[in-house]
Amino acid sequence: MNEIIKTQKLCKTFSNGGVQQHVLRNIDLSIYEGDFTVIMGASGAGKSTLLYALSGMDKPTLGEVLFAEKNITKGTPDELAIFRRKNCGFVFQQTYLVDSMSVLDNVLAAALLVEKNKKVAGEKARKVLKSVDIDENLWNKFPTQLSGGEAQRVGIARALINDPKLVFADEPTGALNSTTGKDVLDVLTAANERGQSIVMVTHDITSARRGNRILYVKDGEIAGECDLGKYVSGDKERHLKLRDFLGGMGW
Amino acid sequence: MSKERMLAKSHFRKNKGSAIGIFCLMFLASMLLSLSMILFTDTYPTASKEAERLNGGDGILFFTSEKIQVDDAYLSDLLDGVKEYELEKALFYSVVSMPFGSGEMTNGLKVGRVENTTSKKLGRTEICEEDTSITGDFIYLPYQFKTSGGYHVGDDYKLTISGETYEMKIKGFLNTVYGGCNNSGLFESCVSSDVYDRMYSKIGAIGEASFIVFTLKDDVKEGAFRIRVLNQLKIDDPLADVSMNYLSMYISSRTFMSLIIAGSFLAVTLLVVVVIILMIVNSISNYVKENMKTIGALKAIGYTSRNIKGSVLMMFLALALAASVLGVAVSYLAAPAISSVVIAQMGVPYSVSFSLIATIVAISTVVVLTILVTLLALRRIRKIEPIVALREGVESHNFRTNHVKLDKTPLSLNAGLSVKTMLHNKRQNIITFFVTGIMVFFCVIALLMFENFNLHPNLSILMSECSDGAIGFDAETKEEAEEFVRSHPEVKNLRRYSETPVYVGQEESLYLMIYDDPTRMNNQDTCYKGKLPSHDNEVSVSGKFAKQNGYDLGDEIKLNVGGNEYSYIICGFIQSCNNDGHEAIMSEAAAAHIVDLDIMPCAFMFDTDKDEEIDPFLKACDEKFGDHVVISINMLKSIEASLITFKGIATLMMVMIGLISALVILLVLFLLIRSLVFSKRKDYGIYKAIGYTSNSLILQTAGSFMPTIILSVLLFSVLSYFVANPYMQLIMINFGLMKCTFNIPIPGLIIISVAMILLSFAFAVLQARRVRKIEPYQMLIAE
Repeated sequence: MNEIIKTQKLCKTFSNGGVQQHVLRNIDLSIYEGDFTVIMGASGAGKSTLLYALSGMDKPTLGEVLFAEKNITKGTPDELAIFRRKNCGFVFQQTYLVDSMSVLDNVLAAALLVEKNKKVAGEKARKVLKSVDIDENLWNKFPTQLSGGEAQRVGIARALINDPKLVFADEPTGALNSTTGKDVLDVLTAANERGQSIVMVTHDITSARRGNRILYVKDGEIAGECDLGKYVSGDKERHLKLRDFLGGMGW
Repeated sequence: MSKERMLAKSHFRKNKGSAIGIFCLMFLASMLLSLSMILFTDTYPTASKEAERLNGGDGILFFTSEKIQVDDAYLSDLLDGVKEYELEKALFYSVVSMPFGSGEMTNGLKVGRVENTTSKKLGRTEICEEDTSITGDFIYLPYQFKTSGGYHVGDDYKLTISGETYEMKIKGFLNTVYGGCNNSGLFESCVSSDVYDRMYSKIGAIGEASFIVFTLKDDVKEGAFRIRVLNQLKIDDPLADVSMNYLSMYISSRTFMSLIIAGSFLAVTLLVVVVIILMIVNSISNYVKENMKTIGALKAIGYTSRNIKGSVLMMFLALALAASVLGVAVSYLAAPAISSVVIAQMGVPYSVSFSLIATIVAISTVVVLTILVTLLALRRIRKIEPIVALREGVESHNFRTNHVKLDKTPLSLNAGLSVKTMLHNKRQNIITFFVTGIMVFFCVIALLMFENFNLHPNLSILMSECSDGAIGFDAETKEEAEEFVRSHPEVKNLRRYSETPVYVGQEESLYLMIYDDPTRMNNQDTCYKGKLPSHDNEVSVSGKFAKQNGYDLGDEIKLNVGGNEYSYIICGFIQSCNNDGHEAIMSEAAAAHIVDLDIMPCAFMFDTDKDEEIDPFLKACDEKFGDHVVISINMLKSIEASLITFKGIATLMMVMIGLISALVILLVLFLLIRSLVFSKRKDYGIYKAIGYTSNSLILQTAGSFMPTIILSVLLFSVLSYFVANPYMQLIMINFGLMKCTFNIPIPGLIIISVAMILLSFAFAVLQARRVRKIEPYQMLIAE
């Protein structure tokens, strides 16, 4: 499988009142094309820090992140922004839609950064919104008028609109109830089945089950890795395998 | 109170940037307010205070006459109704071109003996600066020659009168009530005895006038007294050159520019105060929005609305007090520079003194307005329920419409997002619209003043008639002189001109300007309504006089002088700043009904093709007619000198208004963009996360204000173009200018508009640069 991301000795240290806190410690990691990679770990283990370091949203203190063989640790903020618009999609726990823009415009605001033809971008946005089950009558509504699940699916549509090499999802179901959470995971799974590479941070075992590769972060290091194989709905053996792996990690 | 103080400190720490911005606006307002008040209460009344200190009496009468024997018996008859008077004999030149700055000031000139001039008790003339070591031929000049003309004690001064040149040293400057300012039509000077004697021997007894300063008895009416005295003098000697004016007119003509400056300061100040009010309201509104959770939490733990309001009020009150005290202090540092321009025109010794009224008004206005506006803006805090505040006001309904659909709009992505931001920030954009617009208006007023008083002086408004030069002769020579003048081919467009005061009834008077044919006057615009007189029963009177006395076009008016009276039809209204706006124009044929033109001196106004032809022609007249020349003026030089003070004032106004406009726009954009970036920081984080660069977000943010600014600039430029003259008219109407037609140069207007737009954009981009500091990751983990 092709590597999309490769990290070398990735470190992240925060300084708080003169006290150094090592959140990531010498992480060597590869993320592969077509994978649904799930990063798990306890609160404060460094999983979100790792996710944002991998995506170029945050700079590591030491080490390198090679994204599609390009070293993204040395870019300026604007270079990284341009890099992200072409290569990364983001799904956040709090959705982070722009409240002053309609649903369609939230997706278009990302699409038009890459596709200059407004007609093409508009058609693509509509298609993506349909693919994440956002009804047409919601397209002109504003984020505050949507339910949490709807808003998160719009967030996924925005993340997918530019056909990024990788979608980063940070606790995408964290703020949702189980039903709407499942809908969101279904959308991400469907995208992965269509070939979209995904890296998702979660501490929810049900969500983690969707991934084919589970990484467990502990004390800023990759403590273990589990290969679950292709996701099949209702596969109890998969669930037990994941539970055993997590148990072994001290979950 | 301590908990409110604690909260107030916390508000300040959290809103440091906005607080500093508002502090600057408050400081600016209090400084301008204090400056305006200093100008109104200290500088402007200086001329009145000095007149009182110098025991100026009620007015001055001066006349030259060969026939009248001026002795105590004659004066006690003539001045019936006068409580006290003082007579000084001094030389009087009705029109003299005096070197002044880089030009020549044309004005009436009184030349006295030092010992006589400086020893008067009524209408005292005080030496305010002198070098006693200077001996020989010397002159004391009015203080305005120092403040506006740039002369110093010890300088050489060369005065040429009727072909005779007197070279003297300036021994000192005079502080005088009636002859201190060019606007009042008379300069008072005094010279050494030798010079006086030489002047006297040249001009003769006819040139030695009686200057009488007087105080009226309480029951005597000024108008009636004036007409009776002037008529009596004309009866006693029809050839007498007579003039009489009241102190109020001298003070008004001496202070009118200071009134305009003080008024302009006040107008700009009021604007800044309005901007502050808007900014405080906006700031508090943002504060409530941004601190909804904190307010909810404070209420939840037991703080009352009163406690919270009190703490916010305390912060703004502290800012207002500190800013206004500092503003007042700084105003006293700036006041001497601004006052010096006013004083240059007034010609009165002056130094800024502490004005309690100015200080109280400036501080209390800023503080009281701040309290009122803060309390009004804080009313909504009471309505905030803690639970709703903690949820930051969850929206269940939203009736917003999406005006700019990104896939449908013809705008580029950045422009489309800018417009979205603009529509989302309506209140801020409305504030920007009005602030920018009002600034444009004041810049256009400054441009108008600079253009019409400095770059291309609009003489047709300021003077009733314009010409390149004027030469006047006594009655004895005028016919022969006219032939001589007309024989010069370089002299064009001759207009024969005489002048005399005339009276309306027993109390009103007009200064009558008599032309051979008023319809040939260069400045036809002096008549702003109706027409200039062409028949022998027509007169055009000044609009100010007509308005005060209820005259309309077509009305009859009876004019009298020296016992002759005739009824004229008012055919037009004229405007003029001179003679307190009490002037009239008629033809010689019409004037002949009441005055004997044959015995009056007359002048010829003329134009030349080349400016350098003026002086040789005047010199030729002087050489030919010598003492018979009563007026000899190169008007171009004279205007140049007269405009020195106007130019200084116009430049000051231009610079001041330009700076204040730039500063106010900078502060307003600073406050608005700062609060916009703060309130939208989450959105900016999202934009950055999905791939927007800082530069595109800066352009979006700055660009979101530009449609409003451009619209405001364009709209107010056009509006100001049409409103500026009526606005000036409101100010100038008191000085006799009834219809202002000042030129507003379109290129200047375009420069102002473009500069305002570019400056605003530059300021907006500078302020929007704070978007750079927003890091998407920090924003995400902060939530």
